[in-house]
Amino acid sequence: MTSAGGSRYPRGRSAIAGIGCTEFSRDSGVGVFTLAARAVKAAVADAGLTLADVDGLATFGVNDSVAPNILAPALGVESLNYYVDQYYGGSVSLSILGQASLAVSAGVADCVVCYRALNGRSQNRVNGSGTSGGRLPWDMQFKVGAGVLAPAQEIAMAARSHMIRYGTTAEDLGNIAILSRDHALDNERAMMRGKPLTMDDYLASRWITDPFRMYDCCLETDGAVAVVVVSAERARDLPHRPVLIQGAAWGGGYTVVNNGTTDLAESPARMIAPRLWENAGLGPTDMDFAELYDCFTYTVLSQLEGYGFAEPGEVPAMLSAGAFDRATGALPVNTHGGLLSEGYIHGMNHVFEATEQIRGDAGVRQVDRHDTAVVTGQVGYVSGYSSAIVLVGA
Amino acid sequence: MADPRLVPRPDPESAHYWAALAEGRLEVQHCADCGRWTWPTRVICSGCHGEDLRWEAVKGTGEVHTWIVTHQVYSAGLATEVPYTVAMVRLDEQDDLLIPGRLVPDDHVHPGMRVRAVGHRVADAIGQLDWTPR
Repeated sequence: MTSAGGSRYPRGRSAIAGIGCTEFSRDSGVGVFTLAARAVKAAVADAGLTLADVDGLATFGVNDSVAPNILAPALGVESLNYYVDQYYGGSVSLSILGQASLAVSAGVADCVVCYRALNGRSQNRVNGSGTSGGRLPWDMQFKVGAGVLAPAQEIAMAARSHMIRYGTTAEDLGNIAILSRDHALDNERAMMRGKPLTMDDYLASRWITDPFRMYDCCLETDGAVAVVVVSAERARDLPHRPVLIQGAAWGGGYTVVNNGTTDLAESPARMIAPRLWENAGLGPTDMDFAELYDCFTYTVLSQLEGYGFAEPGEVPAMLSAGAFDRATGALPVNTHGGLLSEGYIHGMNHVFEATEQIRGDAGVRQVDRHDTAVVTGQVGYVSGYSSAIVLVGA
Repeated sequence: MADPRLVPRPDPESAHYWAALAEGRLEVQHCADCGRWTWPTRVICSGCHGEDLRWEAVKGTGEVHTWIVTHQVYSAGLATEVPYTVAMVRLDEQDDLLIPGRLVPDDHVHPGMRVRAVGHRVADAIGQLDWTPR
């Protein structure tokens, strides 16, 4: 589905050549500086490169991480030609990959390492009760008086709208939590490995903000993930199967109180989906698997609709029929357990997993068809942004 | 003393909105050129790009589009408030005016429930918007 509009996205001209991560835990015992440095070093080594090859760094965060200008000299990066230091959370997690892709394709930089490091459990909890303060988004003034301080509350608003409009149930959300948990059981990186979740467990878990129970919410995690982006040409000379960045899109712009929409049940993904597929020159039916940002169960459902994998209201029946199961589904989703059950590295662990899958290196988690994948950043109404990339194995 | 995390921090553009609420009035910007209502604060009309946006009191009535019931304590000042209901209310004036506020009392909340706005002062020139069943 190439577009008459003629996207000039540099399809497949950049590639993920290396991935690295730290342990995902509840208490890393070290600072974010250390986490970032370890993940970046591991990713560069995985790519068969050295830190001297790095000339770009890209990250995001909410005043809770270490910025490129601090990290570059600490890593021994001699010449930083490009950086991204993006404010906000999971909604922008794939925009930094997109930015790196553009920079490398344009020749502005040769080797950009994208990273996210956070002590999201032991230090700066992202659940709204933490201290990620400093700068507050402008629109927070229109939420706090109502007692709305946390992402869970805003996305629960959208989930309830979907329940009202389409009859989506608690069990439907529970099926997403269980899908993620099932995929984490045999994942050695997952914080929830070996810990099954049943529907009874789900329904009995405590309310966070109704309609979200505890198991609708992702984990809080300490850890870091880094991803090396180089030109596709260069990636072909490096050790692993190049994972080409075929297309990307990032944008959106509506928050829950700054919306311009008339129904919060509508997926914000619909705002960037046409551009994503146009940029990639591919469509949802071309995807072998999907890693969808799952800060909450509902965002998985919302994105399956918004990116065109299901018509609105269809996801619950597809879930029950096993459409998204890793072993047998037509579209395996969150093959590692996602943010709900692997860990919350703010979406960057989705990129790590997609890369391992496309390489064919996912071991017991390996999906049968693994040449194409979509990986997304948050789609909800928190920052208003959405971001996504399409990856293709060379 | 109110929990400072729960008190809105006005800026020059939104100060009028918060001050009106403190005096019990829900005011929304109305475009003098095209008649479009806009919330939250703007300086340019998102409909016609005009700049003559005027604060006007709305009827203050609407219906519940969606809601949440929060049990988790996200800030110290909410410890004695949980569980509390926040409703996203669609104002009668325009379909895309969706404004959140505490729903008090929250018995029998349901989609389309008719509510009206109640503004009350929480700090100097700063009000809070609650919704109450009609």
